[in-house]
Amino acid sequence: MNLRRVWTAHVALSLALSAGLLILASCGGGSGNNNGGGNNPPPVNNSQAVEVSFGPLGAAGGYVNGFFTSVNICMPNTSNCQTISNVLVDTGSEGLRVLSGQFSLLLPAVTDNSGNPLQECVKYADGSYSWGPVVSAGIQMAGEQAASVPIQVIDAPGQGIAVPSACASGGGVNNGTLASLGANGILGIGNFRQDCGSACTGSSPYAMYYLCPSNVCQVATVSLDNQLQNPVWQFAQDNNGLLITLPSVSATGAATATGSLIFGIGTQSNNALGTAQIYTTDSCGNFQTTYNGTAYSGCIQGSFIDSGSNGIFFLDATTLGIPECSDAPGFYCPGSTLNYTATNTGLNGTSAAVSFSIANADSLFATGNAAFNNLGGDNTGSFDWGLPFFYGRNVFIGIEGQTGPNSVVGPYFAY
Amino acid sequence: MKVIRWECMKTAFAFLLVWILGAAPAWAVLGEYESSISSDQKVMRGEVREMTLEGYSVHQIMGADRSVVREYVSPDGRVFGISWQGPTLPNLEQLLGSYYASWQQAAQARTRRRGPLVLRTEQLVVESGGHMRSFHGRAYLPGLVPKNVSAEVVR
Repeated sequence: MNLRRVWTAHVALSLALSAGLLILASCGGGSGNNNGGGNNPPPVNNSQAVEVSFGPLGAAGGYVNGFFTSVNICMPNTSNCQTISNVLVDTGSEGLRVLSGQFSLLLPAVTDNSGNPLQECVKYADGSYSWGPVVSAGIQMAGEQAASVPIQVIDAPGQGIAVPSACASGGGVNNGTLASLGANGILGIGNFRQDCGSACTGSSPYAMYYLCPSNVCQVATVSLDNQLQNPVWQFAQDNNGLLITLPSVSATGAATATGSLIFGIGTQSNNALGTAQIYTTDSCGNFQTTYNGTAYSGCIQGSFIDSGSNGIFFLDATTLGIPECSDAPGFYCPGSTLNYTATNTGLNGTSAAVSFSIANADSLFATGNAAFNNLGGDNTGSFDWGLPFFYGRNVFIGIEGQTGPNSVVGPYFAY
Repeated sequence: MKVIRWECMKTAFAFLLVWILGAAPAWAVLGEYESSISSDQKVMRGEVREMTLEGYSVHQIMGADRSVVREYVSPDGRVFGISWQGPTLPNLEQLLGSYYASWQQAAQARTRRRGPLVLRTEQLVVESGGHMRSFHGRAYLPGLVPKNVSAEVVR
């Protein structure tokens, strides 16, 4: 009886919150037109610089293989903008998140019809989290523009509405400071259009968005339009995905590495697939990797390509028979550099071998360099192809529902 | 085959299946007794199923929010492993119970590494990985894994 009453009350509250959010202030979500129609707008500059470095914390922060760019944020639908530098480029997430201290613009909050600001809790695999309100902003990169999309303001610890206990329950650090985040923000440009998708639109939404009337936070149902958006699919053009290019680096790494973040796939002369092959993913954004006769696939054990992971994280020291570093937990420290071959297979059947090396992480760190193609560590029994995978490659990220070359529809990777 | 998949297990041990479709959302904590479930009830508002396999049993909770948590229980009724999968990380404080502090310490010690996180000691193994929209992980206590059962069943 008791439980049922509680449950009923919860459902009622959920419904009320859902109803409230149905009329959230419009965020002006774009239509995400694909290029390929007969009325293409004139091409714009679709390429901007990206850099691998220690980032804003410098060498003392020890954050190697950090991958950064600049993003202009604007008052919605205006050219009143400011530049946020040192934003982490992350193909493992969706949406733009910026530390609260970076804002000079006063961006309009996304609220329910009672004026309660929408809050978001984002958890990462390492248990860390970002908490703070959702606001509307224009986003400009290179010559591309999204007129008005929801982004997250990452609160500093102790700032704003108190972090719900469930948000911090991953056990990791609060990413609300420069020292903890190692960047001024995170630009999530992964395979999906929104950060949550349909898991947050129903009557039992995932615990990602919150409304906190009277500082009491409840999980909120949020329509797709009002969720954080991968800004790329909101661009007026070059919006079906993106291409990341980075040069090769030597076996001892490079001080820094500079490459390009190019928007669109097959939409301009600088983002053609070329010899790259398309690997479509499952609904979780994963493809299959086969190593030593074992296939790792699916939502729990599948592979993905994540520029926000700073190593190739795969399997574990016991399975591989190599030691972890004693003073850098989670990184591999083989006595000498080891060469590996694995086979990646897309849902579409595309299959090819990938060769990579794993060096002694302690030796790499001792070089004082920041860009390494052979840094690796352990994982959950699957493959996370992090930033080392990107050196010397063109890596394409195809966005869900967006049509790419050869009529392939995202989500997919290509390289 | 090193990795026993859920679907394979379902097929191979179909004759042993005892499905109990319960309305009560139950929640057990790593290392504790199954009988403590009722006192540890927390909100997941999901469907609980119990499956008995050779040497252990599995409680699977399908959350209304599409998350899946599985609890692996030894014949003497202790939870020796937990796995999770879903659009975001579950409440690890709830799932790991008294082992949460160890995990928290490892997670807070993050310095150079950005990506999945693994804690591996003789007493406790916790693995957390994935990416936005698809997180997964598992935790188990090597000392409590029943004889003749591989820790790899915890997936």
